Order: sequence, then structure tokens, then C-alpha cells
Amino acid sequence: MELALLVVIPFAAGVVCLATNSRPWWERINFAAFVLVAVLALKIAANVLAAHGAISAINGFLRVDALSALVLLLTAFVSLVCAIYAIGYFRRDRADNRVNERQLRLYYGLTPIFVCAMLLAPMADNLGVMWVAIESSTLASVLLVTLYNQKTSFEAGWKYIIIGSIGIALALFGTVFVYYSAVGVLGSETRGGMNWSILVQVADKLNPQAMRLAFILVLLGYGTKAGLAPMHTWKPDAYSEAPVPSAALLGAAFINCAFYAIVRFDVLAEKALGHNFPGKMLIGFGIASILVAAPFILVQRNFRRLLAYSSIDHAGIMVAGLGFGGPLGALGATLHMLFHAVTKPLMFFCAGNVQQQFSTPYLWKLRGIIHTLPWTGGLFLMATLAVTGTPPFSIFQSEFKILSAALVADHGWMAFLFLAGVVTIFAGFLMHISKLTLGSPQTGIRATECRWRLSAMALVAAPVALFGFWLPNSLYELVRQSAQIVGGSL
Amino acid sequence: MNLDIVAITLQTALLLLLAPLVSGCIKNWKAKLQNRRGPPPWQPYFDIAKFLRKDMVISEHASWIFSTAPYVVLITSLLVGLMVPMVTTQAPLSLFGGALTVVGLLALSRFFLALGGLDPGSAFGGMGSSREMTISAIAEPALMLAIFTVAITAGSTDLSRIAAVEQASSLKLLNPAHLMAFAALFIVLLAETGRIPVDNPATHLELTMIHEAMLLEYSGRYLAYMEWGASIKQLVLMAILTNLFLPLGLATTNSALSVSIGLAVFLAKLLALGVAVVIVETVNAKLRLFRVPDLLSAAFVLAALALLSTFIFQ
Amino acid sequence: MNPPSSEIGAQIITLCAALMLVLQLLLVVQSMLLTNIRLFALQSLLLTVIAATVAYFYNAEHVYIVAVLTLIGKVIFLPWLLNRQVRQINIIQEVEPLLNAPTSMLICGGLTLLGYVVARPFTNLQKLGSNTLAVAITLLLTGFFLMSNRRKAITQVLALLSVENGVMLAAVALTSYGMPLVVELGVFFDVTVAVMVLGILVYRIRENFASMDTSKLSQLKG
Repeated sequence: MELALLVVIPFAAGVVCLATNSRPWWERINFAAFVLVAVLALKIAANVLAAHGAISAINGFLRVDALSALVLLLTAFVSLVCAIYAIGYFRRDRADNRVNERQLRLYYGLTPIFVCAMLLAPMADNLGVMWVAIESSTLASVLLVTLYNQKTSFEAGWKYIIIGSIGIALALFGTVFVYYSAVGVLGSETRGGMNWSILVQVADKLNPQAMRLAFILVLLGYGTKAGLAPMHTWKPDAYSEAPVPSAALLGAAFINCAFYAIVRFDVLAEKALGHNFPGKMLIGFGIASILVAAPFILVQRNFRRLLAYSSIDHAGIMVAGLGFGGPLGALGATLHMLFHAVTKPLMFFCAGNVQQQFSTPYLWKLRGIIHTLPWTGGLFLMATLAVTGTPPFSIFQSEFKILSAALVADHGWMAFLFLAGVVTIFAGFLMHISKLTLGSPQTGIRATECRWRLSAMALVAAPVALFGFWLPNSLYELVRQSAQIVGGSL
Repeated sequence: MNLDIVAITLQTALLLLLAPLVSGCIKNWKAKLQNRRGPPPWQPYFDIAKFLRKDMVISEHASWIFSTAPYVVLITSLLVGLMVPMVTTQAPLSLFGGALTVVGLLALSRFFLALGGLDPGSAFGGMGSSREMTISAIAEPALMLAIFTVAITAGSTDLSRIAAVEQASSLKLLNPAHLMAFAALFIVLLAETGRIPVDNPATHLELTMIHEAMLLEYSGRYLAYMEWGASIKQLVLMAILTNLFLPLGLATTNSALSVSIGLAVFLAKLLALGVAVVIVETVNAKLRLFRVPDLLSAAFVLAALALLSTFIFQ
Repeated sequence: MNPPSSEIGAQIITLCAALMLVLQLLLVVQSMLLTNIRLFALQSLLLTVIAATVAYFYNAEHVYIVAVLTLIGKVIFLPWLLNRQVRQINIIQEVEPLLNAPTSMLICGGLTLLGYVVARPFTNLQKLGSNTLAVAITLLLTGFFLMSNRRKAITQVLALLSVENGVMLAAVALTSYGMPLVVELGVFFDVTVAVMVLGILVYRIRENFASMDTSKLSQLKG
């Protein structure tokens, strides 16, 4: 029951917003819908923990195990904070006349639909339906990326949809091949041939040639969605042109859905092919993403694009963790997904505040933010340290686990490259953001920070600060069970 | 070497006599389609007879190549014609190599044609020769690949065997490889015989000529042989197109009845193909010279796809 | 499961698949946008025929539904939508592609060979329509090539749609019944919405850039 509601509520909210005309109502409906979604997600996670397995609804069509519940929780959290932030952000944009009412309606109507698709993806047991959900979320987000109707918005949106569609077509092809191997094992009369829960039980009998081809295609396809190199070129444009709440949703929630899809296929592939081949491919793409992101971060001049490269880097880290394998790798990747989803929105929100206040995303034009926007400046610094994996923040722990997994699996060179990339990115980020935040500003006038946005940022900052030291027991239990699924032992 | 003197003589006679008629019919139907009366279908006979009677005027810069080229063109066209099954399944002459020899002989005739155009030292002749070589550089591989496609399904490059195997097996009309090879060969036919959209056979503007430009310096009986050779080549290519892909009605025995049926069916097929050529010529405009390689590479890729299809769809 | 009297069925499917391949080749070299849309509609029609043939010989009703969906969606609705957009934007011809026609055709020939090599291990001659996997993979590869070679936005949309055709054909070729109905419906829905969104974008790009030439979308760098 809750599972179905989880999808229906945001969809209904989106449709209602598209149909109505008053801005206060849009804000209220969105806020209410996302609060309800967050509550439902918590309840579902609790149910999954209590059931010690998976819960399903609609005759097995929707199936939530620990991994799905984790992704649902993260999506719900990110969309809630983004909704709170968006209220303040768009009020400012409306006051500055950067958007008109029609564009606002588009945002408030499409965002719940976008989130609805992102919530459906981890819940669908059928791999084809998961594909449909991820594709739908891409389509919903394209119009969000082009919201500002500038020339650069259309360029970003066009690149996003074309590259995304290429990727999604490859992913569909890979899914078809998996179905083909399933039919080979289960017979062509099968009804459940595309259901992950059924496939995972017969995975060791699947045709290895077909699974190899399928895994490569799926990695290329869903990797495009996650932003792995070399399919990452859409990310910098899309993240810098989209309105900040949408970019945060893309960078902190959508990336999890893409990673989730890769994990599901990886579990099947590793059961069918062993760890060697999938692991090599995953490590290859992961390390390549980190190494591609590093130089671009060093020479970056636009802090919105900086966030995109950071997202590419973290996608690479997660996928590399998955590739290094073993219990450490699986746990590291799952923890990283959790910590990244919690930390990234803070970066986006701070960047958005700065951009709106000074009307420019360029780093060389801005100095000493902390004097003008004290809260934003401070939180920006904290978020930078957190996102780049500085102890005692949480991401340090997950990265360390992944590094250990690499050393345990005897990938010395890969561990070295991983470390080199991460350290370079840390250096680059620190250099850029410290210049941005500290130093003497052009104007010493303190601006008042918006209440809504501050509360959103506080809501995010709390876990960021906290998780480095303490993780609630039930959350850790959820992560542990998810890691077991990721590692293929469940 | 399979020699049957009677068959050789009869086929040679058929080639020599039928070829000008085919050219004339095509010209006549094209005119009718353009709402003109046009020359009568047997006009080429009178033209050849006229050329044979006339004196020759030969450039003083021409060498022995100029004099041998007409003979080479005529004789190679006849030789190729003898290797193609026209009325009977078994062609009178089957030289070693089958289809490869056919393509080689056609290449030889083209080679001498082009040299003959260059030899007298006229500007238009050289221009025609270079254009002809450009076109044949792409048309020839397409021709080879298309013939190889049917050769592979038949298991031999001997054209007579190909026709025999095709006739014996069930109707393979729907075979995509053969359809694509037919399309490719049709385009090559247009290119080799100098028809629109590749070259306009009725043009009198020298700068737009390809085949005609090489013949500009020829006169008298050399011109007769050249024209005759060209029309025989056209007949032979049309025969390859019809008899390799649709070998219905080819006579398998030597009885008079089957041979006459074979002849009648062959004429009917030539008629149909001629009508197709006329329609294509009338509907299209001549392509600009630098666009001709586009068309011919389309033919080449079609032929390559046809060859691939024999493997893909086995 | 071997259906009886599938000789005719196999021939029809093989013929349609080969024609789909030829049409894809024509799509790559043809530069008039309206003709390209018609070529795509024809290709989808052939896909419908293949699906209907498989449905008939295997007596599978839900593949009939797929055939009807393809007919309504890809043969009638989407080409009509694209036609309307092209007429709205009033650009009917493609600019010079990156690689000229003969080179493009040669590359497509090479991609066909590659598709055949990749498909070889998966073709099972007992199954009806299994030999069209090579064509499906070729459609995928040539669709991607078309997308990178051409610059007009509508042609890139058509390339995407022909890639979809390839995936559908692969689904029919690999698994005799195609994918479960709910997935097919979802895919159709997604493709339709994708074309609509692309159409909106194309219109706005035309408005903003006064051209559909996507090589002009090059401001964002680094």
C-alpha cells in the first residue's frame, strides 16, 4: 500500500500543480507532497528492516529490498530539502525577474513527476520497468534543465537529451540481452523473465557470452546516466544551466538511481561471469572518471561546472568501489552513496545562494563571500571539506574503505591512481572555494540570508556534520543489508 | 574449353544483329515518352552501314593504338557475349574463370577505348577518357561484387552454371541478397552503357560527354566498330542482368522448340528491361560529374551488402 | 518450439529485415528531411510486418499488440509529428554532413560487417526471425553514426528513432515473443514522450538560434 502511494502522491501533486495557477499553492502542494514522501520512505525502510528481506506490492510488480529502501530514503531526503530550498530560491528569482509564472509552474509541476519516476526506479522488480522509469525521469528533467530559456540552456538541454537517449538505447539493448539469456534458462513461456528477483536466483546459469555483451552495454548506457567518463560531457552543461534545486536533484538523487541500476546488473553479471570481467570494466570506467574529472576541476573557472565534475568524480568512486569488490568494496560503495547524497545538496545550495546574490557563476569575479553571506560562506567551506573526503567528515570513511578494498584485491596501481585523483580534486576544490569564501570582498555589505534556504541548508548540514561521527543504528543496519545485496550474497 | 561451332556462330550472329536493334528501340521509346516521333528502331543498322562505307580521317598524331582499339572493343564485346547464357542455359564459350574473365574482358575493352580517346591528342578525347576511368573505378568493383553474390549462392563463377543452378532451385525471387545485387547491377548497367543519370548518350555538347567524347576522333569503319561494340556491350550487360537473376525460360536442351521458346522469353525480358531503362532515363536528370561517385558508391555498398547478406541470412 | 510451415515466414522476415537495412543506408546518405521522415516511416512499417509475421506463426497475441502499437505510433503518429515540426520550422534540407556520402556509405558497410560479427554467436537458426539480430545491431551502430555525422536536429531525432527500431528488432529476434507487454508499452510511451520533448526543444532552438544546425550549439566549453 505504501509502495503504491509513494509513487502516486508525487505524480498527483505534479499534475495538480500543472493544472493550477497560484504560486503559494504550488509551494504548499510541493512541500506537503515531499514531506509525505519522506514519511512514507521512512516507514517503508522500517518495514523492510522488520521483514528481514524484501516487501512487495501489486502482485510482485513493486519490490523493495534493503538496497531499494536505501535509495528511496535518499531520494526522499534530497527532494524534501530541495523543495524547501526551491521556495526561497524561486521567490528570489521571481523578484529579480529571471523567471515568469509559466516557468515556475513548469518547475513545480515537473519536479514531483521527476521525483515520482526516480522513486519508481528502485521499486520496480522488472528490469524493463526500471528502464522505463529512468528514461521517464530523464525526459522530465530535460525541460527542467532548459527552464531559463537561454541559448546556453538549450545547448545544455539538447546535449543532455541526445547523449542521454544514446545511453538509454544502449541500456535497453543490454536489458534485451539479459532477457534473452533468461529466456534461454527459464524457457520462452516465462512471465518473470525480466524480474530481478527471479533472475538473481538463476543467474549462474545465464549464457556467459550474452551476459558479457549485456553488461558492457548496460555499463555504457546507465554509465552515461551516472556521468562516467567518457560519457560525461553532458553533465557540466546540464548542471550549470539548470536551476539549482533541479541540479541538486540530478546530482544527488538521480545519480543514485543510475548507480542502483548498474548495481542490479552487476550482481547478475558477477553471478554469471565471476568477479573478474565485470570488476575490470567497473574499475576501468570508475578510475577513468576520477582521472578525467581531476584536471578539469583544477582549471575550472565556473563553480557550477565545478560541482558537475565533482559529481562525475563521485560516480567514478562509487563504481570503482563496486569494481574492487569484496565485502569492503560493496560496503564502501553503499556508504559512499549514502554520504554523497547527504553532502552534495549542501554544495549545490551554497553555490546557488552565491550565484543568485552576485548574478555570476565565475570564480574570478568573486572573493570573500563569507563577509557578505556569512552562513553560506561558512557552510560552503564545510561542505567542500566534506565532499572532498576530509576527515572527520563521512565521505572520508567511505573513500578509505574503497581504497582498502582496492589494496585487499591486489589492485596496487589502481589504488594509487584512485588516491592521486582524489587528492588532486581535494587540492583543486580547496583552492577554488577558499579563494571564493575567504579573502577581502569587493563590497562589505552583509546581505540577509533567506529563511527558507537557510533552513534547507541546516537540514542538510546536520547529517553532514553528524555522520562523520555517528550513524543511527537502524540506518547502519539498512546500509549493511544493502551492502550484502550489492556484494551478491543475498 | 567447350567448343560448339554451331552454337558459337549462332550466338555471334544473334549478338551482332540484335545489339543495334536494342539501342534503336531504347532511343525510339525514349522519344515516344518525350512526345516525339523519334528515329525508327532499325536506324542504327543504317548508321552502321553508312559508317562502314565512308572514308576515314585519322589524326596525324594517332598511333597504332588508335587503329587497334576499335577491333579490340568489338572482339572483346563479342567474346564476353559468347560467355553469357542468352538463349540456352549453356553459353557457347566458357573460358577459364567465368565471371572473372567477363569482368576482365570488359575492363580490357574499356582500357583500349580510353587509350583510343587519348591517342589522337585532342582535349575532348582526353577529358572523356579520364571521366570514363573515374566512373569505372567504382563501377567495376560493384559489378564484380554483384556477380559474386550470385556466384556464391550457385557455387561457381561459371555463368552457365550459375544460370543452371538458379533455374533448378525454387523461385528465389524474395532472396534479399539477389534483390540488392540486382539493384546494384542495374545502376552499374546505367554507368557502363553511358545512360542518364550518369551520362547523356544524346548530348552534342562536348563538355558534358563521357563516352561520346572518346569517340569524337573516330570516323568511317572504325566508328562503326566502336558503336557496334558499345551496343553489343549494352546487350551483354542486359543479358547478364536478366539471365543471371531470372533464368526462367532458358533452353536446357538443344531442341528447336526449347531454343525458340528461349529466344522468345529472352526478347521479352530484354523488352521489360529496356522499358525500365527508358523510364529511368526519362524520369531522372543527368547527375553532375562530381555526384556520380555518390551514386556509384551506393551501388558498391549495395553490392557489398548483398554479398554480406548471403552470409547473414544463410 | 518450432512453428510449422515457417519457410514463407522466414523468407518474409528476412526480406523485410534486409529492406530495413537498405532504408537505413538511404537515411544515412539522403539529405532531404521530409524524405528521411518517410524513409523512417517505411522502416517502421517493415518492422510492423516482421512483428505481425512472428505473431502469426507463434500465435502470440501480445506480439500483435506490439505490431499495432508500432503501426500507430511509429508509422503514423511520430512521422506526422515530425512532419509538422519540419514544416513549422521551414527547413527542409540538411546541411553538408561531416563525412561525404561515399565515405559514409563505406563506413556503414563496415558497421554492417561488425554487426554481423557481433551477432554471430547469438543466431539460432531454429528460431523464426533469429537471423535478423545482425540487422538489429547494424541499425543500432548506423543510427549512432548518423547521429554524429549529421547536424540538423530533426535528423538526429530520426537517428535516435531508428536506433529504437533496431532495439525492437533485436527484442523480436532474440526472444521469439519479444519483451513482456508492460515493458513494450512503457518503451513506446517513453519514445513518444521523448520525441515530443525533442520537438519542443527543436522549436525553441530554432527560435533562439535561427537555425536547426546543432553545430552552432557550442558556447558551453570546459
